[in-house]
Amino acid sequence: MNSASLPLTGIRIVDLTMGWAGPLATRNLADLGAEVIKVESCKRFDWWRSWEATPEWVADNGAEKSPQYLSVNRNKLDITLDLEHPKGRELLLKLVTTANALVENYSGSVLPKLGLDYPSLVNANPDLVMVSMPAFGSTGPWSEFRAYGSTVEHSSGLPHLVGDPQQPPTMQHVAFGDAVGGLNGTAAILTALWHQKQTGAGQFVDLSQVECLFPLAAQGVLQQSVTVEAPQRTGNAHPEFAPYGVYPCSGDDAWIVIEVTSEDQWQALQRLIPGLADFSDLTDRMQRRKNLDTMIAQWTLEQSADAAMQTLQARGVIAAKLNNGHDLLHEPQLRDRGYLQWLERDHVGLQPNASAPFRTGAGPIPIRHPAPTLGQDNDYVLTEILGLSAKELSALENQEIIGTKPRLPD
Amino acid sequence: MAQSNPVSGVFQDLTIVDVSGSVATSYAAKLFADYGALAVNLEPPGGFPTRRLKPLLSGGESAMHGYLHTNKQSVIGSKTHLKDEPVTVNADLVIYDPSHLPRQDYLADIDRNTCAISWYGLTGPYASMQGSDATVHALSGLMRGIGTPEGPPIIPPGYQAQIIGGLSAFNGALGHLLATKLGNLSSAFQLDASILEANMCFTDLAAINAYNNNPLPPRMGINRFPPTYPLGIWPCKDGWLGVTTLTPSQWKAFCKLLDMEHFADVELFQSSVSRLESSDLLEPEILQALSQHSAEDLFYRGQAMRIPLARVPTMEELFSVDQYSSRNAFSQVTIGDDAFHAPSTPFRLFATPPHFGGPVADLGADNYRWSVTHE
Repeated sequence: MNSASLPLTGIRIVDLTMGWAGPLATRNLADLGAEVIKVESCKRFDWWRSWEATPEWVADNGAEKSPQYLSVNRNKLDITLDLEHPKGRELLLKLVTTANALVENYSGSVLPKLGLDYPSLVNANPDLVMVSMPAFGSTGPWSEFRAYGSTVEHSSGLPHLVGDPQQPPTMQHVAFGDAVGGLNGTAAILTALWHQKQTGAGQFVDLSQVECLFPLAAQGVLQQSVTVEAPQRTGNAHPEFAPYGVYPCSGDDAWIVIEVTSEDQWQALQRLIPGLADFSDLTDRMQRRKNLDTMIAQWTLEQSADAAMQTLQARGVIAAKLNNGHDLLHEPQLRDRGYLQWLERDHVGLQPNASAPFRTGAGPIPIRHPAPTLGQDNDYVLTEILGLSAKELSALENQEIIGTKPRLPD
Repeated sequence: MAQSNPVSGVFQDLTIVDVSGSVATSYAAKLFADYGALAVNLEPPGGFPTRRLKPLLSGGESAMHGYLHTNKQSVIGSKTHLKDEPVTVNADLVIYDPSHLPRQDYLADIDRNTCAISWYGLTGPYASMQGSDATVHALSGLMRGIGTPEGPPIIPPGYQAQIIGGLSAFNGALGHLLATKLGNLSSAFQLDASILEANMCFTDLAAINAYNNNPLPPRMGINRFPPTYPLGIWPCKDGWLGVTTLTPSQWKAFCKLLDMEHFADVELFQSSVSRLESSDLLEPEILQALSQHSAEDLFYRGQAMRIPLARVPTMEELFSVDQYSSRNAFSQVTIGDDAFHAPSTPFRLFATPPHFGGPVADLGADNYRWSVTHE
């Protein structure tokens, strides 16, 4: 498939985002065929390339080797512009006049200080969609507070629903808020683009990454609101079902999740594990949950997680092995669907790339090209789109407004 | 009897029909409804599965159903095949879960855009396997990293996998609907959205790192994850504080905040990974220092020093956090005479805002609009 047949062909996005959430939001648009132009600078490159850059890292082309950076920037173009220089800002505004949307996740004060806030941008392009993705939203007393994906999870209330009550409120991931914010960012941009296509009008879109996590905590939020009682953490013990839990399997750190949510499933499990004959209805199973779990664990410990999953699923019981990163590379379902696409990339060689999580054909939406190197598309964007001459380009390089290598502060 | 009202907004020209009523299909349709689409639930006579999800209101209605179905219509399906349902004639998009269809050939001969949201995708060896939010968290690798080293890993609660799956399917469906508007697509599309693949957004890097011989370590403990430290949720004098320090400057500022400046310039601790490797040495000092302060005080002072600290509100506290209340982060849902608060749409278009809360249609409340007759 070439880009001419992709859903968002003809849409241009100026991408000022860095890290994980913002670049994921725009990557999803690039996967759908939008022309996403990522704007970095040699001095202020995407910190997702490294948050501890050193001269050795620069010399070793470390900026081009970060797996996390590569994974969220494929299918994009990349240019460098020093936005602290008037000429850099002038070129950005010129680029904005050609775009449908601009997306940013700087902390609140950065763009206004550069003269690149929404009023300035919309002055350059009155039909522009601008999507801002700060952690707490662009209004309210915390609008300029700093956060990472972990801070977003901390602030969402979700940790008070996870894990055992004897443990501290429990996180689920090192940067849980980033991925969720990214998906919501995509939704926000697409919704505004729909409106722009319908009416011709752009607008400002505000996304709070913390608020993006509230739907994931909905059950707790609703229980608090409806019953005025705080939801209790119950670890892996489900309040309505038994058996329900994570059970050890043969092998090192091997586990399977099993849940029984109907009597049919329970009877199938009873037929499979003779020791369960002693247990009866749901009430009995809930009351003797610990004994029940012990019996099931005796059975699961005798086999691999994969074999146990296949055996249980063949009998209609909900079950799945717990994968780790290495397992994902070989996971049969993902392999069969071609979920990991393999692309050659300068500096790192052949690399796996996760596909978009939806498709309309037999295979995944093809990934057209890997993540660009720093400033890889300066020539194309500045000459073909903005109409600069080779001489002007050379002058920009001499003034260090553009470039292709990171520069650390003196 | 409560009836939904026609609404207006960004998607006011779109009609979305949900024929399954799983949490995932409901959430995908909800995002369209929040921005003004005419969203119709085509329900079986017993109602969608979401009508039975807890928590329940005093009258027995499901609050979760209410949250997922504000500003939608409810019609009871009456035909053997979807193509014969009056509501389908106008549908721009039919959303379904293949494991929640009345019969296998229910969608036969339907010339409409469709969006299937299934646990593992419509193809592949797991396509017909039983699924749940927990199995998705297990297979995606998320669960493997949560909990103590000795295990068992912890199951993320609620319907998180389905919310992510529904959100991701919304993106795919809207992208393809927009393609039609842009002239990039001229025929009906059939979207295959996998909840498992959607949830790989948390863990695809784990696979990539494993391929590059840099696999994530096994579970390191509650709230302990690579590649940085201090990271976690710790007790203070009067509540919980969420801490993240990643860069050298944040580490120095954190040390200053907690009067631990003897650690600030130690060469070893300038690297996030080195601090993580030294966490057993650092943690007792950090816990001791935190216990001397209030979480609220540290949060505001830390943020002023550009350290990404967080209050960690309970569900009860969530409703009274200034930041969230000032933005109407929670809005009122009404079912009959009952009302409660639920999360608002997370993204806000300023010129064309979403609906904040709203009414929930009783089962079949909109039959009359669609001239429903039973076969």
